[in-house]
This record gives sequence, structure tokens and C-alpha cells, in this order.
Amino acid sequence: MAVVADAGTLYGLLAVGAGLATGLAGIGAGMGEQGIGAAVVGVVAEEPGFLGKGLFLMLLPETLIIFGLAVSLILMFAWTPFSGIVTP
Amino acid sequence: MPVLRLPKFGSPVKYAYITGRVRAMKTKLVPAEMYARMMNMDMSEIARYLEETQYKDEIDALSKDYSGVDLIEHATFANMAKTFRKLEDVSIDEPSFLILEYLRRWDVWNIKTLLRGKFYGATDTEIVKHLVPAGELSAEYLEELAKKDSITDIISAFDGTDYSSALAQYDGKNLASLENALDKLYYFRMELAVGGTLSVGGGLLLKYVRREVDIRNLITLFRMNKAGVDAAVILENLIPGGKLHGELSRMAGQPFGEFLRGLEGYPFWSSISDIASVDLDAVSRIEARLRAYLIRYAWALSNYHPLSILPVLGYMVSKETEVSNIRKIVRGKEAGLPAELIEEQVVVA
Repeated sequence: MAVVADAGTLYGLLAVGAGLATGLAGIGAGMGEQGIGAAVVGVVAEEPGFLGKGLFLMLLPETLIIFGLAVSLILMFAWTPFSGIVTP
Repeated sequence: MPVLRLPKFGSPVKYAYITGRVRAMKTKLVPAEMYARMMNMDMSEIARYLEETQYKDEIDALSKDYSGVDLIEHATFANMAKTFRKLEDVSIDEPSFLILEYLRRWDVWNIKTLLRGKFYGATDTEIVKHLVPAGELSAEYLEELAKKDSITDIISAFDGTDYSSALAQYDGKNLASLENALDKLYYFRMELAVGGTLSVGGGLLLKYVRREVDIRNLITLFRMNKAGVDAAVILENLIPGGKLHGELSRMAGQPFGEFLRGLEGYPFWSSISDIASVDLDAVSRIEARLRAYLIRYAWALSNYHPLSILPVLGYMVSKETEVSNIRKIVRGKEAGLPAELIEEQVVVA
């Protein structure tokens, strides 16, 4: 049936969306971290005691990936097109 | 050494490392309240205090050759040269290019020191002691120049470089016009190398340097107008390229009272308004205030552009001021100047 084929396409698109959610979040976090990482290395070169604080600041943008990952997991597992759309 | 144009690259991220580093280095500068305490210390106490700061290595290394004021002076200069070289070494691309452009002022300083030394018949070793190899010319090269026999030999060593046009003005009698030409060349070069590009960093450096030229011209005007020098002579001594060049050159040769009234309303007026009066006794007090204004200006600009050349510039200006403050204090104390007089000369931003 046509509906089943559509559901397959829909599920494929969902998978692409889930991939984009994690992937783009990762790229964004990386872009944010490049500046912070460079600055932290600069400060640590002068003040080695700053390393702990610096690492913490560096990991802050990393939290954004978790949002992306959560969205991906919701897309992939909380709802499947085969359950709702396919009706006899 | 042809003038290289600033390439049109440079994203702010390139500045992250160097700005992080200079902000950490800034915390190691001598705090402003220490200057007042240094006034009450004797020379060995000051040397001991400096040994606890970033100057430790230089004080230790030079203490076998010098003592007292000479030790402090040479150690601070050596440390400044080392620090500026470090900044240049740890930066890449655009920051490195801009830092070198700024540090060329120490090349000019060294060329002036070499010429003055030779002019007044100083020995090689005496000249070498007063060099600050913080610019592009290396310590070895400068030492080689110091060993040359005459001024003309030194001048011919710069043939084919940018400096040759300024050095050609040497007439064998005095160095003033030559030194003026070197200063003008420095600012002209900077404008040529950095100006007119799309790079944000270059524009910001130029903005600061234009303000610096204005302040230098203003100090010249204060000195010469106060002494009643002829307008034509003053105009010769003004450095072109400042933002307010036209307005300041119109003030040349004005009677002092009128000149002061003309300055009201400019951004730097508030920092000198309480001491600038017709019966001003020492222009050096105005100079100290204006230099402090310049440091505040550099750091204020760097707050608007945190990832740019400005924090580095602010650090370099602060470091230069710190070294000159320490020199003023130790030299002043050695000459037996009253503490209030020294305090007026110390630049605290």
C-alpha cells in the first residue's frame, strides 16, 4: 500500500533529522569551543593553576550537544510512523 | 625591508590564544599602589621587591654586572624586550603582523640610541647596554651596528630599507631633524602597512595609533606653546597622521590661554582639566596625565573588542609604562628629587 511506502520515507526523513540534530549541535559546540580552548591554553601557559577552571569553561558548550542528542533520541524512539499512520 | 600590506584575513578566533595569554600576563604587572610604596623604599629594597615579580630572572642574571639604579634599569629594559619578543613568538598570522608593526617603535628607539651614542662618542659596550631589542632588529644585528666606527657607517648599513629615506637627512651637525624624521616614518609606515585593509584588527590598531599621535602632538604643543615657540617651528615638529591633525596644527603658536580654551570639549580634556591652567609650572604633569589617558583609552577600546589586537596593545602600553614608571622612581630617588615631584611623573591609569 502507498501508505506504507510513505511511512518508510517519513521514517527515513526522521532518521536524517535525528542525525542533523546531533551533528549540527556538535559542529556548533566545536565552533564555540575553538575560541575558548585557544584562550584557555593561552591562560594556562601563564597560570598553570587555571587549568581546572579553564577546562570547565571549555566544556560548557559541550552541554548543547546533549540537547541535540536528546532531540535525536526522541525522534528515533519515542514515536514510530508504523504505529500511528498504517491503518487498515 | 619592503612594506608588507596587511593581508585581508583574520577571524576573531585567531586572537583567542594571544588575548587569553596577555590577560593572564596583565595580572603579573606591578599593581598601581606599589608605586607609592616604592617611593619609601631604598634601592636595594626595590631590587628585592622586583625580584619577587616577573623581573626575577633579569635581576638575577644582571646582578653580577650592575648594582643599584643601573641594575634595576637594565633589568626592567631586558625584561620588557623579552616579554615583547615572547608576544611576537607566540602569536601567528594577523596578531603577529600587527604586534610587529607596533614594536617597530623599538627599532626606531634603537637606531636613535645607536646614532646618539656614536654622535657623542660613547663606546660600543655603553651603547649596547642601552639597546632594547624588542623590535624586528635582533640583538646580534644591533650589537654589530654598535661596533661600526662612525654614524655614516651605521646609516649606510640601512641602505635599501625603509629607514634610509629618514636617515639620509643626517647633516653631520645635529640629530634632532633625523630623529623627527624617524618618528614620522614609523607612523607613516604603520598607516601604509595597516591602513586601507578590510581587516578589523588593523583598523583598531590604527584607531589607537592615531589617538597616540594626537596625544604626542598635544604634548609637543603644550611644551612649545608654553615656551612661545614660533608656529612654523612647531608645525615642523608635529607628526602627521593623527585624527585631530588639522585641528591641532591650527593651535600651533597660539597664546597659551587661548590654546587651553581651545582644548575644552575634546575627549582628553577631562583628564587634564584640573591642572591645565595658564600658570602651569611643569608640562611633565600634563604629559603623565595624558599618557594615563592613553592607557585607559586602549583598555576601554579592548572592552568593546575583546577578541582583537587591542588587549595585546593595552598590555604592551601598560608594560612600557610600568618600566618607565620604575625608571622614573629609581632615577628620581637617586637624584634626590622630592617624593611629590616623582609621584607627579608616575603614570597611573
